Amino acid sequence: MAQPVISLDGVSLTLTSRAGPVEVLRHVDLHVMPGESVAIVGPSGSGKTSLLMVVAGLEKASSGGVRVAGHDFMALGEDALALVRGPNIGIVFQSFHLVPTMTALENVALPLEFAGRPEAFDAARALLGEVGLSQRAEHFPAQLSGGEQQRVAIARALSVRPQIILADEPTGNLDGTTGKQVIDLLFDLQRRRQATMLLVTHDSDLARRCDRMVRMTNGQVAVETLACA
Amino acid sequence: MSVTALEQAPRALLSGWPLALRLVLREQRNGLRGFYVFIACVALGVAVITGVGSLADALRAGFERQGEAMLGGDVVLSRPHKPLDAAERAWLAHRGTVSESANMRAMARRVDGSDQALVEVKGVDGAYPLAGEVRLAGGAALQEVLRDGAAAAVDPILLARLGLKIGDQLSIGTLQLTVRDTIETESDRLSARLTVGPRVLMSLDTLRRTGLIEPGSLVGWRYALKLSGDAGKTGAGLRKFRDDVKAALPEAGFTIRDRRDPSPRVSQTLERLRQFLTLVGLTALLVGGVGVANAVATYIDRRRKVIAAFKSLGATSRVVFGLHLLQVLLMAGIGVALGIALGSLIPFGLVAWFGDMLPIRADLGLGADSVLVASSYGVLVALLFALWPLGRAEQVRPAVLFRDEVAPERVLPRPRIIALTLSAAVLVAVLAILSADARLLAFYYCLAVVGIFAVFLLLGSLVSWVARRIPRPRQPELALAVGNLGAPGGLTRSIVLSLGAGLSLLVAVMLVNSSIVAELTERLPAESPSYFVLDIKRPEIAAFESLVRREFPGAQVRSAPMLRGRIVKVGQRPAEQVKAPPEAQWVLNGDRGLTYSEGVPEGSRVVAGSWWPAHYSGEPLVSFEADIAKGLGLKIGDSVTVNVLGRNVTARIANLREVKWESLSLNFVLVFSPNTLAGAPHNLLATVTLPKDAPLAAEAILAQRMGREFPATTAVRVKDAIEAFDAIFQRIMVAVRAASGITLLAGAFVLAGALATAQRRRIQQAVILKTLGATRRRILASHLAEYAILAVLTSFIALGIGAVAAWITVVHIMHLDFVFSGAAAAEAIGLAVALVGLFGGFGTWRVLRAPAVPYLRAE
Repeated sequence: MAQPVISLDGVSLTLTSRAGPVEVLRHVDLHVMPGESVAIVGPSGSGKTSLLMVVAGLEKASSGGVRVAGHDFMALGEDALALVRGPNIGIVFQSFHLVPTMTALENVALPLEFAGRPEAFDAARALLGEVGLSQRAEHFPAQLSGGEQQRVAIARALSVRPQIILADEPTGNLDGTTGKQVIDLLFDLQRRRQATMLLVTHDSDLARRCDRMVRMTNGQVAVETLACA
Repeated sequence: MSVTALEQAPRALLSGWPLALRLVLREQRNGLRGFYVFIACVALGVAVITGVGSLADALRAGFERQGEAMLGGDVVLSRPHKPLDAAERAWLAHRGTVSESANMRAMARRVDGSDQALVEVKGVDGAYPLAGEVRLAGGAALQEVLRDGAAAAVDPILLARLGLKIGDQLSIGTLQLTVRDTIETESDRLSARLTVGPRVLMSLDTLRRTGLIEPGSLVGWRYALKLSGDAGKTGAGLRKFRDDVKAALPEAGFTIRDRRDPSPRVSQTLERLRQFLTLVGLTALLVGGVGVANAVATYIDRRRKVIAAFKSLGATSRVVFGLHLLQVLLMAGIGVALGIALGSLIPFGLVAWFGDMLPIRADLGLGADSVLVASSYGVLVALLFALWPLGRAEQVRPAVLFRDEVAPERVLPRPRIIALTLSAAVLVAVLAILSADARLLAFYYCLAVVGIFAVFLLLGSLVSWVARRIPRPRQPELALAVGNLGAPGGLTRSIVLSLGAGLSLLVAVMLVNSSIVAELTERLPAESPSYFVLDIKRPEIAAFESLVRREFPGAQVRSAPMLRGRIVKVGQRPAEQVKAPPEAQWVLNGDRGLTYSEGVPEGSRVVAGSWWPAHYSGEPLVSFEADIAKGLGLKIGDSVTVNVLGRNVTARIANLREVKWESLSLNFVLVFSPNTLAGAPHNLLATVTLPKDAPLAAEAILAQRMGREFPATTAVRVKDAIEAFDAIFQRIMVAVRAASGITLLAGAFVLAGALATAQRRRIQQAVILKTLGATRRRILASHLAEYAILAVLTSFIALGIGAVAAWITVVHIMHLDFVFSGAAAAEAIGLAVALVGLFGGFGTWRVLRAPAVPYLRAE
């Protein structure tokens, strides 16, 4: 039987603030199988993005077990996590987070370059074609619209053919039509590549397109349902 | 702010200000955030200019207050060779109390002749000192000590040098004197000429008994006066006394000084140093100006949406511009105030730490002029650099609010702003030029500053341009570095400009310094003499030459007649009315060495006119040094009047000579035809050039024999004199280097400011790279590559520019050989790399430590 590609067991995350410690995640258990798409929904401040950051290895859990793509994240240091993240995890942000000093093509090629792939630019060009931005390859982020920037960000996240895609409100900064185009693109690429996807969203229609939906409240997993249910 | 209020904002500028002022005050509720580097840059430059100015003010105040003590009276009249005659003495005695002293250089020897030292002898009468005091270590009064037969009070250094103690005897001339005490302070020492050896004080009678004072001896006679009544109390009284001297004793040939400026030489040197260091401070301010421009540009960029909101509510461009201009002026004001406060503390620190090195006791305080100059520079430079980025504030369009912001276009400000910026630049230049004595040099300085800024601005743009166009390097670290170098709004231009300008100045100063040091210590011309020997009597020259040749058969002795005299008229103009550039004016200050010669002196070349024939007996003729003649506006056929031995001698300029001063041979500005001066009593000046391999011990024996056989002569060892000068020069260079270092510090501020501005963007970039799998080593490598490229490029260009500036200064202004010092160059490059490494490294360390999550959450 296949093993989960993401396993969170009793994960807690406590952050310190001036007002005292804040429990952001509380004993969260989550297991995601390869190729599965999971929507994480919940009100603001419920810990959705924090959960995503823990899975990305960008935030270290205070306790519990985090196993992603076969690696025990609790046992790895910052640089080791970066080396695991590079080829295995692609992240799409609400605010795109493209490197402003690089063209669209260079942004997409960057993870491939980090992975030492000689065909980085050819692959990046092909990916930009897949997201419909061949004509905008040499443009800088500031010269692109929000929808175009997010499509570049998706191409960049998928450039290394990661087995896991993490998306944090990918349509939050986009208008309805553009958001729908972007999300169609994201699901299409995820299915074609059989990647696992964790999608944080407020949009219940969007969440229903996933295989499974996890609702979070106060840093805990409140309900897990099949999305289409 | 209500829409109505803005609608009511009148168009007129004057009534626009109050609204802008109200808005500024509201804005300042947020504190000084974003302006710290701005304030620091202005404060640093203003502090240097204020510090230099207030130290000069303090020294000048000290001069004025202590003038009487430093001079030894209200007025001092001095002249070489000739003491007062009876008529002159009577005339002076009628006007107040007079004290007479005689100054000369001589050799002090151990009585066994085993050692000797060059000393400055001063013979004083019973009235000395009329003002100020001479304090002896033993506590006794000077007159008591000197009255006691052949007695002397000496500088303690002399005792150490000759291995003597109080009570021992020493020989000066043909007399043996007992050292009775050592001198602690001598208040009028500074107003005397440049001293080359330790002081020996004796009574005038004792000095006469040494046999050193004879017709033609190089003796400086000095008459201090305490004027009767109120004549010495006021400037008008002192001026009247000077006029009376000129009228009553027109041919006396006195150099007159009064207590208002006891030592024009020292006050002039201080003034030059003040002017020079003010320009260095201005350079620091201008380099800091880059920080001002960056801060304002960043501030305006950050406020684009606020400005757009203002405009959408009805604010005019004028109100927007006025608001931000007022804000800039407020920040400049804070910087200026801080700089003046800091700068006025500088003299206190210097006096506390280096008080002993200062020529006089400084009266600490702050002159209004210095504050005015420093604040004018501060405000003008702040405006010069702030106006341009401010001009963009009024061009922000309200549409920014309604659509995604793309990279703001870099358009030129409106013509009015460009004109204002140019006016600020012209005002800074005019202020720099008008406040300098050497205006041509100040003008060149302004040109150089414009040139250097232009070069580094171009270099910064060129680096960005090239970085955007070169093929992307395969190494992602390098690609990131190159991407950052070419990024719009990146650090490239700020770093290159701020670091480059400061570094160029430092390189120039260091290379000028190393060239001068090399000139002084290593590059003495092969034919340069080993000794200058003063006061050889004419009949003794043959015996003197044979003594030298006996000890060193290969030695060369050259001699020339030597008198001292003062130029009293240049053409038909009295010398004191002539205003010449500093490089010629010095010839008119005090007395000069004069000579006569049958033929063209060695080391000279006639460049205009012709030399007088042999056995010439016509009207008095003189040969003038060409550059100085040009500076004084003299040409062939003009006349020059010189006062020698209390007599005015007028001669016609027959020719102009080019003199190789650096040969250190017997060079004179004025060489007369023999018939002009041969009748005057005088001695000879000789140079002795020993073979290069002359052993030191043999040299010492020769010096002993010269002392024994020619006791009235004074031998100055060239190497010792050069080392003494070098020591003084090095002290001045410490100040110059420190001031230049401050320019680099200003560069460092700008660098820190630019890095701080870019910090958020850099952290964001690093975080994105981390999410894409970049390790910290990788990010560090890309930052290092970026900084290394900038530091190395900038330092090499700065090295080139600094070297060219140093070469021009050394070769064309100082007329010396230029020496490129690898060590100085390496030091400059090392400094640049260290500075960028330090600030950049600190920034990168913070970038690498920054947590990723806050930067990734949606804004």
